[in-house]
Amino acid sequence: MERRRLLSRIFEPHPASPGVSRYTNAVLRTQDNKEVKFYDDLIRGRQVMVQFMYAECKGACSQTTQRMKRIYGELKHRMGKDLFFYSITIKPEEDTPAAMKHYAEMNKVDLPGWYFLTGDPEELQTIRFRLFGMAHPGFDLDDAMHAGMLRVINDNRNSWGMAQAFASDKHILKRIMWHDPQKSYAERVIDNRNLQVAIMKDVKKYGYRRDV
Amino acid sequence: MPKNEANDRPEEIEDKTEGTISRRSVLKIGAAAGAAGVLAPSILNPSEALGFQAVAEPVICVTPANSPPHHPFVDEFRAPFPADDHPLSPQPQEFANIGAGEAARAPHQRWSQFAPAHFTYELIARAGLHTFHPDYSPTYIWGFNGQYPSPTCLNKYGKSTVVRFRNSLPTTTTTFGRNEITIHLHNGHHGSESDGFAGDFFGTGFWKDNFYPVIYAGLDAFGGNGDQREAQRSQWFHDHRAEFTLNSNVLGLNGMFFIYDDIDPGHEHPSANSLQLPGYYGVTDFPVILVDHRFCPTSGGRTEMVNAAGGDKFIVNGQIQPKMTVRRRKYRFRFLNTGPTQTYDISLIKPDGSVGTMVVVATDGNLLQHPIPVDAGANAGNSNSTTAPIVPGAIRVSVAERYDVVIDFAEFSAGSKLYLKENRTMFVGNPSPDPLPPGLNIGNVLIQFNVVNREPWFPKDTPPIPATLTTYPDEPATDNTWEWQFVRDPACPPGTTPVPPRLFRVRRPFDGPLGCVFDAEHPAHCILQGTTEEWLLNNNVGGSAWVHPVHIHFEEFRTHKRFVNGVEVPVPPLQSGRKDVSRLEAGQGALIKMQFRDYVGRYLIHCHNMAHEDAFMMVRWDITTDLAACESIQQVCNDVQICVPN
Repeated sequence: MERRRLLSRIFEPHPASPGVSRYTNAVLRTQDNKEVKFYDDLIRGRQVMVQFMYAECKGACSQTTQRMKRIYGELKHRMGKDLFFYSITIKPEEDTPAAMKHYAEMNKVDLPGWYFLTGDPEELQTIRFRLFGMAHPGFDLDDAMHAGMLRVINDNRNSWGMAQAFASDKHILKRIMWHDPQKSYAERVIDNRNLQVAIMKDVKKYGYRRDV
Repeated sequence: MPKNEANDRPEEIEDKTEGTISRRSVLKIGAAAGAAGVLAPSILNPSEALGFQAVAEPVICVTPANSPPHHPFVDEFRAPFPADDHPLSPQPQEFANIGAGEAARAPHQRWSQFAPAHFTYELIARAGLHTFHPDYSPTYIWGFNGQYPSPTCLNKYGKSTVVRFRNSLPTTTTTFGRNEITIHLHNGHHGSESDGFAGDFFGTGFWKDNFYPVIYAGLDAFGGNGDQREAQRSQWFHDHRAEFTLNSNVLGLNGMFFIYDDIDPGHEHPSANSLQLPGYYGVTDFPVILVDHRFCPTSGGRTEMVNAAGGDKFIVNGQIQPKMTVRRRKYRFRFLNTGPTQTYDISLIKPDGSVGTMVVVATDGNLLQHPIPVDAGANAGNSNSTTAPIVPGAIRVSVAERYDVVIDFAEFSAGSKLYLKENRTMFVGNPSPDPLPPGLNIGNVLIQFNVVNREPWFPKDTPPIPATLTTYPDEPATDNTWEWQFVRDPACPPGTTPVPPRLFRVRRPFDGPLGCVFDAEHPAHCILQGTTEEWLLNNNVGGSAWVHPVHIHFEEFRTHKRFVNGVEVPVPPLQSGRKDVSRLEAGQGALIKMQFRDYVGRYLIHCHNMAHEDAFMMVRWDITTDLAACESIQQVCNDVQICVPN
């Protein structure tokens, strides 16, 4: 009973989650040409990281994808279970599900829990503005702001933040971790203890808390 | 051991629905906790365990065009309560007291030198309700000890202090804040483990002791309590959690921290070395904590704050347009702009509508060498901005800046009314109850001063402000020069999207065109302990139109040069003193000099516009004794922006 309660709690949306009103329920297609609803199937109750890209982009997008691939490796045990990556195209006219599949395979990132999504151009643009324009409402109207960054969302905690694609891997990992499911106090006590051990090692080695 | 036994009993559940826990059940849970050993904390909701009334979470409205109207000059202006200094249990210690719930941290530097702490405070971050104006219903806030504004710590140089910051915020929140905190004392000279580093936040149920030795910089060189000329008297503490600093500061997690010594003792008696500035806290010496908010229309008995930059109500010490009864004597006001983003131009308006004189005695808490009167005349203003010229007689206060001013009400007759004016206009919605001086709009008034004769019991006026307040220490030769540029990524042509996205960043000249974003794990700059550096701060890269109040943790600086669009201009008088925030307006630059002494660790330089620091305009720099080791992990920032067609 405990376990069921726990599980249902983890994947429920937060009571204050804006749900469809923010994320929309646009119907998108995955690289396997499967129809998915953006909020109901992809965001609801989950922790996700969203990237905007397009398949032909050779420079920054693929660098970001490579970086996400390394992050994926670090978080493999969670991917597809309680953590998901979504790469959404900004050129849906060119990026058919097949093109997205090709991109994923080329980059060796056609992996469980990582979806490459395409769909209706207008709906995708709405999603992009909704995701990258709301960290600070003052910036809402500036459509160039925040487009293309990594957005970390945890609908279960109703928390969202940003991860900068070009920060260090370690820092991006931390920025994802900052939105991890709310841990119980007992779990956080254990984390705190482990952190203290790491800090003391660091202090011993460098004279101050340098690396943790 | 039946787990959560206490929680399963009907009477305790009843207690909980009332939003509080009875003393009896706390004792019961306590007993159960003792028996359950290490798992015990999981059954305690921290704020309930401390006996706080639970406050229902707010329901935020769609951002309204206007906040609800209010009637001006109803509340009496007041200072925040002084924080209560009392013994802490368990006692503070050098190493983190993990077993008792302290958040992980490095051991306190210089603990054996300055422990035990002379003053100990406990400031508990928690939800509460505050009424900003009698016309408003209570508003959901986060405050230290549930108060808004948070209590003021009144301290003294040479008296080491521990502030225990306890996180009793709601464990799950539906509001816009994030329930993890890391508290920075702006701008204390202390170890980085007590400095509120943006990545070192801790969650609900934990606490952390920040150890402030409350000494002057220059401990190693001068011994004792350091070099008194380094004193900084008006500090403030605030949450610094990366990405959520704006939110938690809007909710109210900030407060002031005054430090007295024999020169500025917090009283007005003639005593050795005392400058006898107006100095009774809350009587003749007031913080003026400025912030702007936007409010939802009242519903369900509450008036909630909206999480938006650019509010339409200017708040002073948690009140909207209060009135203040002032006696015909001198008063000291310590302006602090807690933002979150806007800049104030504050002036004093006399009964005839002309600009009055405010004598600035300290900038960012550092006494000026000579007081600077700001009036409509020659010394007007503290900005040489060409794009946003300052109004004559105004003091420009950008986010996190502090200006201590003395206003002398003796020259005004009893019954006259003066006004503290802000250049921007707020939404009032009601006329002024009193006729205003010609040319003054009610929407510009922050505080109304009502002058009365001094009653016999009220402290007598202080002597004239001395012509010399302090002397600044000589600065050693420069060991290293460095440049920080405060940039926003260039816009892409219409129809294209930038990859990576547009952000606020800090750039070093050798970086890629975009520069650095905040990375808690990597220093952008390494400094050898004991050296002196000259830093060029620049806001003219890419033709910036933004204001960046640049704040540097740990050390105050002197401004040696100011630039506008790369051309050297005279340093405005109010920027010439020791400061910790260098306001860079559009196109401006500053050459500053500072020393890095006494401590090692991770510190920050960032734009104090809280929207900008949350959008990454912040980098870490380290003071170290091993430069090579630090430089081996120096941040690499080589982003190149590419514009891709939409």
